[in-house]
Amino acid sequence: MTTASRTARALLAAALATVAAGGAATEPAAAPSLFRDATAESGITFRHQSAPEKKYIVESMGGGVALLDYDGDGLLDVYFVNSLTVDTAKEPATAPSALYRNLGDGRFVDVAVNAGVAYPGWGMGACVADVDGDGWQDFYVTALGPNHLYRNRGDGTFADVTAAAGVEGGGWSTGCGFADYDRDGDLDLFVSRYVKIDLDKLPEFGKDKTCQFRGVAVQCGPRGLAGSGDLFYRNDGNGRFTEAGKQVGVTDPDGRYGLGIAWLDADGDGWLDLFVANDAGPNFLYRNRHDGTFAEEAFPMGVAVSEDGSEQGCMGVAVGDFDNSGRQSLFVTNFAEEYNALYHNDGAYFTDVSFRSKTAPSSLPYVGWGTAFFDYDNDGWLDLVAVNGHVYPQLDQARLGASAPYRQRKLLYHNRGDGTFDEVAASMAPLLMEDRVSRGVALGDLDGDGRLDLVVNDLDGSPQVLRNELAAPGNWLRVRARGGAGNTDALGTVIAAGAAGRTQTRLVRSGTSYISQDEMAQHFGLAGAAKVDRVEVRWPDGTKTVLGELPANRVIVVAAPRSDPR
Amino acid sequence: MPPGEADALRTAIARGSVHALLDIGERRAQRGDLQGAAEPLRRALALAPNSERALAAYARTAIAARAPGSALLALEPLARMHPTVVDYSYLLGVAWMQIGDMTSALPPLERARALDPHRELTLAALGIGLTQLKRFADAKDVLDQALRLAPEDAETIAVLAEAEEGLGDHAAAEAHARRALAGIPGHPTALLVIGLVRMQEQRYAEARAAFEEALAARPDSAKTHYQLSLACARLADRECAQRQVELYNQALKAVEERLAALRTQSLEGGEARP
Repeated sequence: MTTASRTARALLAAALATVAAGGAATEPAAAPSLFRDATAESGITFRHQSAPEKKYIVESMGGGVALLDYDGDGLLDVYFVNSLTVDTAKEPATAPSALYRNLGDGRFVDVAVNAGVAYPGWGMGACVADVDGDGWQDFYVTALGPNHLYRNRGDGTFADVTAAAGVEGGGWSTGCGFADYDRDGDLDLFVSRYVKIDLDKLPEFGKDKTCQFRGVAVQCGPRGLAGSGDLFYRNDGNGRFTEAGKQVGVTDPDGRYGLGIAWLDADGDGWLDLFVANDAGPNFLYRNRHDGTFAEEAFPMGVAVSEDGSEQGCMGVAVGDFDNSGRQSLFVTNFAEEYNALYHNDGAYFTDVSFRSKTAPSSLPYVGWGTAFFDYDNDGWLDLVAVNGHVYPQLDQARLGASAPYRQRKLLYHNRGDGTFDEVAASMAPLLMEDRVSRGVALGDLDGDGRLDLVVNDLDGSPQVLRNELAAPGNWLRVRARGGAGNTDALGTVIAAGAAGRTQTRLVRSGTSYISQDEMAQHFGLAGAAKVDRVEVRWPDGTKTVLGELPANRVIVVAAPRSDPR
Repeated sequence: MPPGEADALRTAIARGSVHALLDIGERRAQRGDLQGAAEPLRRALALAPNSERALAAYARTAIAARAPGSALLALEPLARMHPTVVDYSYLLGVAWMQIGDMTSALPPLERARALDPHRELTLAALGIGLTQLKRFADAKDVLDQALRLAPEDAETIAVLAEAEEGLGDHAAAEAHARRALAGIPGHPTALLVIGLVRMQEQRYAEARAAFEEALAARPDSAKTHYQLSLACARLADRECAQRQVELYNQALKAVEERLAALRTQSLEGGEARP
């Protein structure tokens, strides 16, 4: 070997890496589509407001969407959260959020103004729960500025009870989720927060190193901006909450950039733990200590950073028992040239199986946001969706590297049942190949046909109602758990359904995906099985309800012992 | 310094002789006096900013002096003006790799490979870049090609093992890691790969031993500290797990600082000029 060659080799060995990139998107193929875009025919005309240039980070992060049954008619309604811009920040009426009532015939009508939920300010995301236990679903909207708790009056309207409940928050809130973490029978609330921002002193577009991307001026942040601590509201049981983040141990004193959140039972002890996806820094996994406090254990549990120790730009989070092991695994969407991380729940710990599961390579070019595990073909294995879109419109003028442009396709993974997935958007759902700038996604059976649909809120432009029209899907069972008075949605309930020798589990959760809310009913694909052999419902207090054989293709409601269902 | 070289440099500066300045700079670089080479090379480049020889001499010396930020200032125009010279594209790629920007490193390395598909160095560099970017399947293809040209290169074999581990082919990854260790005992990447394979097999004590051995050879690897923290956590050694997370954080910070310094370090020792 020559001296020059040795020098070159030595230099090569010394080279260090901190970023990741990926392959090119596949071309759409003509194929029968899993989804049909039913947005226009549904009468949904909502458009998320957004500044075209996104000169400030506050203009890139909104777009939550929530599915709830606000009027108790058994049909899923849709709430789209809208955002302001720096230019319209003082004119909240310019960006109304929308509450679309499901009319049951495929059409929706916006009732937000009459319902009193149209103007939450600079909205970000939403989470749903029957906070006061009256049997009507309430919801909470996070925002830049005060958040809003909308209490459902049961007559088609909501009362803004934020101040009375003491849950205003403040600063820049993003994710949220309710849970009875201390098993005292009422619902507490966690709120993640992102960066500290002062609209009168915004960091100047493109000004310094943290406002440049591959030589092009872009919005500043989150790196270089101060982060905000998170909030934890303990329910006092009298309609009021007390912020108790410090006492509970979830205060985030370093001010990491919090986004998506997920309540889950990470260690299988029957108590709810809490995962927080942090942008540009290690995530949090708060393990429930059963005494009203949490211990932050993301590093030892293996979900703080990527497999190689890189901090990722984490956005959304999905929870699901994708391998039918009875344990809840985590899927976290990330920034471009990183990879979406699939953390398999091994029982006491998680293992990053992103590459082994074959979900990682296809995700590398995209900035991922909303995500959900869902069994789109009812074959008994949870599939996966991730919606994408960059934060910099200026990106198209930059050296792209391995990153996709500003507008990006979605990813759909089919679960092969052996721990691996195939990315099938092009072949199964060409609609998902359309380049868009998506954020929140919510999952639910909008038309009650036993096939799971998706609703996507886009940052730029109109949302999408994607109706699942898969021909000849498998059989199914849907389970609605009805909890006790303080928690009628039965949040934190684990439902296990056994059919054809396989047991699937689901967890009822508030706060899902990226600052969004899936429906509360739990869906089980049964493949060819005509019946479910056994359904076991483990309620948040640890008690169980067991049901024997049930025929497929129906919705059942299971009430908790001593509950008083409406 | 050889007798008379200082006078020769003064004369070359006074006369504005690019050739003489380059001769002196190249001689100094050849004998390892990279600091001494900086002045004549910088002056030559100022006099002849588009000279291939001046740009190349400056770039090579900057890379050898571990001043990739400075090297990039010469390599970018050099590779643009002479797109058919393999070495310039290769060096440009390596300079980007040195400052931790693998995304920017790939296009010039791909260009170098297109110009000469059978150059083992280019293939090895590309393999490292693709592995770091987690494009493991692409990396494996390239590294296999590199090993066909240099079958016993332990460095390349170790990187191939890393790519195979990423692809989930643990048997191949371990076999290649062991081959790399036979060539270079204690090779940190090979040991890291063996530790990762043991982690997948839930043989945590053996994983821990492999990571500890890897860290003995390369104590500043954030990835290895992180993986060791996971092994310790699974072995219920909380103290070790916590300590390794602290070391991981220190290593991350050190890497960031080192990369920042490399980006701005000039050949002359001060800040690289834009």
